[in-house]
Amino acid sequence: MMPDQLLKIDKLNVYHGSSHTLQDIDINISNRPKAILGRNGMGKTTLCSALMGLTKAASGSVFLDQTDISSYSPESRAKTGIGYVPQGRRIFRSLTVIEHLKLVEKKDSRWSIEKIFSIFPRLAERRKNMGDRLSGGEQQMLAISRALMLDPKIMIMDEPTEGLAPTIVDDVVELLHSLAEHEIGLLLVEQNISVALEVASDILIMLNGRIVDQVTAEELKSNTQMQQKYLGINFA
Amino acid sequence: MKLFFIVFLNGLTLASLYFITACGFTLIFGLMRTVNMAHGVLLLLGAYIGYEVVEMTGFWVLGIIAGGLSCALVGAFLQAFILGRYQGDELRQTLITIAISIILADFLLWAWGGLTYQISLPEMLQGGIRLPLLNVGYSVVRLTLIGMAIVVGVLLWLLIAKTKLGIIIRAGVDDREMLQALGFEIKKIFIIVFAMGAALAGMAGVIFGSALSISPGTDIQFLLSSLVVVIVGGMGSVGGAALGALLIGLAEQYGLAYAPTYGVVFTFLIMVTVLAFRPQGILGRAEQ
Amino acid sequence: MSRTLLLIVVILIILPAFISDFWLNQILTRSIILGIAALSLTFLTTYLGVVSFAQITLAGVAGYTIAYFSPNTTGLGIELPWLFAVALALLFSTLAGAFVGAIAKKSVGIYSIMITLAISMAFFYFTRQNYSIFNGWTGFSGITAPVAFGVSLEDSLVFYYATLLSATAAGYLVVKFTSSPLGLAVQGVKDAARRVRAIGIPTTPVIIAAYAFSGFIAGMSGVLNVWQQERISSFSVGLGPTIDLLIIAVIGGMRHPLGAFIGAITYVLIDTFVIDLFSRDRFNMIIGLVLLFIVMAAPQGILGSFLSAQKRIRKYDNNAIKRKIKNDCEI
Repeated sequence: MMPDQLLKIDKLNVYHGSSHTLQDIDINISNRPKAILGRNGMGKTTLCSALMGLTKAASGSVFLDQTDISSYSPESRAKTGIGYVPQGRRIFRSLTVIEHLKLVEKKDSRWSIEKIFSIFPRLAERRKNMGDRLSGGEQQMLAISRALMLDPKIMIMDEPTEGLAPTIVDDVVELLHSLAEHEIGLLLVEQNISVALEVASDILIMLNGRIVDQVTAEELKSNTQMQQKYLGINFA
Repeated sequence: MKLFFIVFLNGLTLASLYFITACGFTLIFGLMRTVNMAHGVLLLLGAYIGYEVVEMTGFWVLGIIAGGLSCALVGAFLQAFILGRYQGDELRQTLITIAISIILADFLLWAWGGLTYQISLPEMLQGGIRLPLLNVGYSVVRLTLIGMAIVVGVLLWLLIAKTKLGIIIRAGVDDREMLQALGFEIKKIFIIVFAMGAALAGMAGVIFGSALSISPGTDIQFLLSSLVVVIVGGMGSVGGAALGALLIGLAEQYGLAYAPTYGVVFTFLIMVTVLAFRPQGILGRAEQ
Repeated sequence: MSRTLLLIVVILIILPAFISDFWLNQILTRSIILGIAALSLTFLTTYLGVVSFAQITLAGVAGYTIAYFSPNTTGLGIELPWLFAVALALLFSTLAGAFVGAIAKKSVGIYSIMITLAISMAFFYFTRQNYSIFNGWTGFSGITAPVAFGVSLEDSLVFYYATLLSATAAGYLVVKFTSSPLGLAVQGVKDAARRVRAIGIPTTPVIIAAYAFSGFIAGMSGVLNVWQQERISSFSVGLGPTIDLLIIAVIGGMRHPLGAFIGAITYVLIDTFVIDLFSRDRFNMIIGLVLLFIVMAAPQGILGSFLSAQKRIRKYDNNAIKRKIKNDCEI
């Protein structure tokens, strides 16, 4: 069973120069997948990067499975169990698909290269291709696989469906659903409201560096007023 | 015609030395974005250590190993305790390596004086052989040198293309931050790569000191050649270092043979031409 | 700051009355000449964001021009009236600056270090190999400062004032240039090259102009230097002086024009006095350690550290005053 509190973010603050990018962020993530919705420039990517330790937080703490990882380096956070799928995928352009997987291969991981290839036969086909020769969808599959191979407790995914064709988006959504079966927590950051609603049970709304609302997916689905107010879109 | 071929061989030997030296330089630059201005002085240090070890033991190969190893240690120390603290601040790191090169060069001058040293070669490498076709004598050590550069190049290629460490290094060159986010201790990797780069410089120093000779000033010659070679070939690329070394080595030797007054102009022209058409170097990748 | 500057200039004007010839020639005049050269470097670094190793080369171009067109004991060159020689020297150093800029135009930061260093060393080796213009290793000697407008620049006091005047002019030019439209475009290129291009200002001419301007400033120092030293050779444009200039800029601090001169006088004082406390032979080790210390402990240089300390103190004072007011109100 997954613990009740997988990831706990407590009063996290980040500054970029004089601008206060993240303001007193409090988030608790249990075994239910959570999504953060918000438009561009609201601080979503900064949050992911701060959780990974790549952006320095001015104050606040982060606990992973009851361990305080606030002072951990990015590499220690990864080892403690955060799988990071960054915005723009950040595939290593001079590594082949198979090299990406070999890079993060671990002996005692639940995820082997064969297992990844059985989930994503497309990656198996393109195993010898360089990172910069892959399509957006293939890159995304690889980025997710790369994080999974580390056998994480929780995945932090920054806009995994950005720029993907609709059929591929469906594949990614399906995969995200299956994370729960493997007892992997999920913090999904999205602009695509339909993906967020489909994958996550709880939705956090981010506006100007703050979490301004927390609703269930059901609530948000029916509340078009809220959608317009925070996200400026109509969900059809 | 004979002169032309002899100069060609001389160019190749020079290119071999430039290649081995520039490899270390470009490796460090590619991964860490540090312009290691102490690269030349590391080469000189390796050469002196190699000289002492060869004098003491009589084994040439031991001298090469000692030269490489001692430079690897110094390089690892520099990266671990001084440069590593300023990762991301490339300009500051570069200034630090300049300071270190000044200090270390002065220390070497103090310890070994301003004399010229030549490292004694094993007997089988001494003397010359008569080359077929051309029917001229050519020094064996110079030919060996070309062979060594090829071996170093192939080994380095194997390391980078085929090993786990090579995968890590390439990933780091592409995206250091992402590599960290996957749980890799970037500091350790930096230290290893810096040590490797420094070891290549040290070994090149011993080889240079055997084929020709070393004295204060050798450090600057090789720092400059490394700079020009990687500017021309492409920064951070081992293939680029090979191509750059070949171009610069040949240009220098042909310049010396056919237009001694303007030898340096050829090198300069190559650099300017490359910069005009491909600012990132012939095989370099454009910065994103 | 401007009041402080005025005070410094006034002190420098009356200072010769109190010091010996040695101090005047070897410390003050030499420092100011080095300071002008360093200014040309800090200008490029601060406003264009590039570290140029070619400034000694540019100064050398001017120096060689003066040597070639002045009476000298080498038997090479053409004698010209001194004003023409100076005009040509500054013209050539400016053009050389533009040329360096054209080569290094796409490079910033560490790339600019590598490329400008390669250029400067190419020039160094060229002066060594060429005898028809540069007279090889030995270069030119026996060059004397001219008689200008009825006074001889050979007189150390006159030469000092000429140097001081040049330095003031150079500082003034840099300040004026940076607030001119072209100067603002240069700073724009440093901050966001792409955006500057987007508003229709092509970056290449702007970059070349900045290098050319730095060449002009470096040329001023080159002219004065060859008059003071009375000789110039390949060693004057070698790696040693090139790195010394960088050290001066780093020691003084790059942000303010004054930093170049503070760095220069510090360097000259170390070179002249501190070094005797240890050993003359180990000068490089001492200066290397100083550089290492400054880069690691005070990257903004002496002036930068002083200014930020001053800022902190002021801030502290302000906070103290605020607290006091608050307390008073509460009472």
